[in-house]
Amino acid sequence: MVGSDEVTTMTMAEFAKLSRERADSYFRYHIDAKETVDRQALPNRFIVKVGKIGLAKLIASEVFHYWGKWDVVFSRPCTYGVFSGPVGGFSPRPEMCVGCLRCTVQHPDFVKVKHNPARVALGDTYLNSNIISTIDEEARKGTVPVRGQGYRGRFGGPGWDEMFTDMSEIVRPSRDGIHGRELISTAVDIGSKPMSLKFDDEGKLVSEGPNMISIQVPFVFDVPPSRILTPRLATIWKEAAEQIDTLVMIPADMVSSNNLASRSVVPIISAGNAASAESFKSGTRMIELEEWHSEAFNAACSANPDLIVGVRLPFLPGWQQQFEEMTRAGVSVIHFIADNHGKGDGGRFIMEMLLEAHEMLIAAGIRDKITLLNSGGVVAADHLPKAIICGLDAVGLDQPLLVAIQARLSGDLSSRDNYRAKLPRKFKDSWAIQRIVNLSCSWRDQMLEILGAMGIREVRRLRGEVGRAMWCSRLEAEAFAEIEGFTGGGE
Amino acid sequence: MAMSKKHVKPSESLIHKTTHLMHDGMDGHAFGEFEMPPALGDARWTDELILSTWYMGATGKVPDHLNYKTGKSDGGFDRLDFKFLGEDEWLDHNKEIDTSIPLNRRGDERAKLRPPIPIYGGGMSYGSVSVNVMLARAHNAKKWKTYMSTGEGGYPEQLYDLKEHVITQVATGYFGVEERSIQAAPIVEFKYAQGAKPGLGGHLLASKAGEEVAKMRGSVPFVSLFSPFPFHSTYSVEDHSKHIDWIQTVNPNALISVKVSTPHDVDMVAVGSHYAGAHIIHLDGGFGGTGAAPEIAKKNIAMPIELAIPKVHKFLIKEGIRDKVTLIASGGIRTADDIAKAISLGADGVVLGTSDLVAMGCTRCSNCEGGPSGRGCPWGLTTTDVELQEWIQQEWAVKRLDNYYTALQWRLCDILRKLGLSDVKELVGRTDLLRYVGGDN
Repeated sequence: MVGSDEVTTMTMAEFAKLSRERADSYFRYHIDAKETVDRQALPNRFIVKVGKIGLAKLIASEVFHYWGKWDVVFSRPCTYGVFSGPVGGFSPRPEMCVGCLRCTVQHPDFVKVKHNPARVALGDTYLNSNIISTIDEEARKGTVPVRGQGYRGRFGGPGWDEMFTDMSEIVRPSRDGIHGRELISTAVDIGSKPMSLKFDDEGKLVSEGPNMISIQVPFVFDVPPSRILTPRLATIWKEAAEQIDTLVMIPADMVSSNNLASRSVVPIISAGNAASAESFKSGTRMIELEEWHSEAFNAACSANPDLIVGVRLPFLPGWQQQFEEMTRAGVSVIHFIADNHGKGDGGRFIMEMLLEAHEMLIAAGIRDKITLLNSGGVVAADHLPKAIICGLDAVGLDQPLLVAIQARLSGDLSSRDNYRAKLPRKFKDSWAIQRIVNLSCSWRDQMLEILGAMGIREVRRLRGEVGRAMWCSRLEAEAFAEIEGFTGGGE
Repeated sequence: MAMSKKHVKPSESLIHKTTHLMHDGMDGHAFGEFEMPPALGDARWTDELILSTWYMGATGKVPDHLNYKTGKSDGGFDRLDFKFLGEDEWLDHNKEIDTSIPLNRRGDERAKLRPPIPIYGGGMSYGSVSVNVMLARAHNAKKWKTYMSTGEGGYPEQLYDLKEHVITQVATGYFGVEERSIQAAPIVEFKYAQGAKPGLGGHLLASKAGEEVAKMRGSVPFVSLFSPFPFHSTYSVEDHSKHIDWIQTVNPNALISVKVSTPHDVDMVAVGSHYAGAHIIHLDGGFGGTGAAPEIAKKNIAMPIELAIPKVHKFLIKEGIRDKVTLIASGGIRTADDIAKAISLGADGVVLGTSDLVAMGCTRCSNCEGGPSGRGCPWGLTTTDVELQEWIQQEWAVKRLDNYYTALQWRLCDILRKLGLSDVKELVGRTDLLRYVGGDN
């Protein structure tokens, strides 16, 4: 506000100018989405087949019956334009079909609409064609996918489908705005916060303060599988990360050789090269060690004490022991790595393992001192809040970014080692960057929907909030306990 | 939005041709004369469930060539079955079965409404559906001496002729809420939340907010309408109570229904609503229908209705107020078997929405909100497009719904007979009559 003294010494014009300048300097975090067209469009959802003889007979019959009533003769059963090409139904346009099925219901003898097997075959059992289609739409439009009618899938699990998030009937994050979503923060902190502060007798702070960086979204971009990683892809990831103010993990040698270092880039360093941590400039704020190695960690910390040093930890059997060692050694960012199906530790799903890690830190009384990240298994917008509820501070995104730029994935995608993806033949970097920005915008907005429904005003408060989640199997056990045939209940 | 072509009300000939083709096609598929459309159906509403609903809409009977009982969602209602008695113990077909339920169980001076079936119609607003669909549902409600809700979109003038069967909904945007429509209503429904988008409010896209819709809602034509969440005047049970007092002052004879979704504390919400003065607690589960909702909200927020009903039912018993509350369930109830299962789990009755639309031709293609055409449902159901809405002719639609409800009631009575029960009220909370099927849960 302009102070009263200031007002009295200014003319109205000066006051208006000052107010305008202040208004113009206002900035509230948002992501600029722009519709970004396809470069390698997905196969059509439906195949539309029209029998030409049947159609010709219909036209002849209708011309005869409705002679002169051309609105009737030329009416078509499709409002989406499938039969509105130059030769109508003789050359249908299946790319416009949305599957309302009116044509095939009305004319079953010569119109057939089928799911396109090429579309259904996209992806694998985890990152399936429905998820790929949704990501594709999110990356194209940058909006929250909205549809009519209700849910169409399975009742509960497996995986993230086992969890329902909670909502509140009356509590809102804010009384302001249409929905109160406008004031919800999605910023998270990466690094370490002290569990308490210490002051001397004179009230001066004598303990260390927080050592962390803030990013504006609760997700980071993780390195693509090595088989498809190129400097160009790394540059695209980096520039998208810079636009939305998050971090991107890239192998250190690629960062160095392509001059990619920046505030948003987190070089991944092998244990043998830990001392190279000091070499990264251009505002580098964090590095990650490829694997846990206590000496390498100490070397990296010593090489550049200003950097946050994170460590990647695969969810292999026995990960708990390494996890404890790392927490004792003072690692402030632990980045779990599950396979692309969210599995690790002999087939356990990340939901369970993340909760275990989060609870280990709480039991040790050091939860705020350590940031937990995870890559692998988060491939849809609803997975994001669910992973955070399980204890993550932020989620590592990898596969969804490839889908956003319309990479064609094939085979079993669970392993990063054998990962097969084919990028569009021709595309501009700016196109790919905007697709990733759009996806980020859509997922952030969907996170706001979930937080708004819960009445939570910042995503930081969602971390580990298992009280805001419901597990289908537990609800079933409660609801169906007395029903015969339900395991653990009935007779 | 692709709205370049100006659409006009179709000629009588075009209506005649189109509706005949649609109806003949629906019947032919339902009667098994044509191959099952390969792209029809999903795990919740399978191809057989959709076609069996069409069959019931056409004939008033259940089909013997289609599974009209369950979907393939691998849980909830689809994993529950009834423990029928041996055939020699079934009640005789001459034995009358009472399927009526009382809606006012508070024992106060308000109307003692008692629909003869444990079913009434859920809110679908004018704007989200056409006036023809709305009127067809209201006429069917009259025929069955039950009710249907306006949804949040106002009260079209034509509905006043059917006002004894029309529930006025008051939702968070207060669109179309008037003293007159509240005074006309036998039941006033507060919509706190909707199962398909719990905690998110409503959104009518600009393309569907045409001139008539805008007039009804007191808004500007072709401007998106947001119904915020929650009631911005309600932040506590006390505020909720004041809301109910307000309606009761305007209409001292109306019953009060409170529609909520299914969060983990839905049992507490139900108790709070009862003490605030509600007659009906209406739970709307996470699998319910919608004209438009973010995909992330469907299924992921709040719990399915099958899990919420027993939670609330048991808690109301524990609190000693179960016999004072009418518990109504909605959000994913597709069949007569689902209705009976919901009642067995603890509901008194159910609300139907999507299944009404399916009976009138809906294939669940999910383009209700406009789709790429921007015009809404190509079947004429969830649209106010001047041309498309004519594909649903009222007389035909009322007959379809009447037939469908006839089949539903027949199957409900069939289930009760096979369980040896002569009154649907005896089924409430009888989980001992259910069996969980399908093994390793």
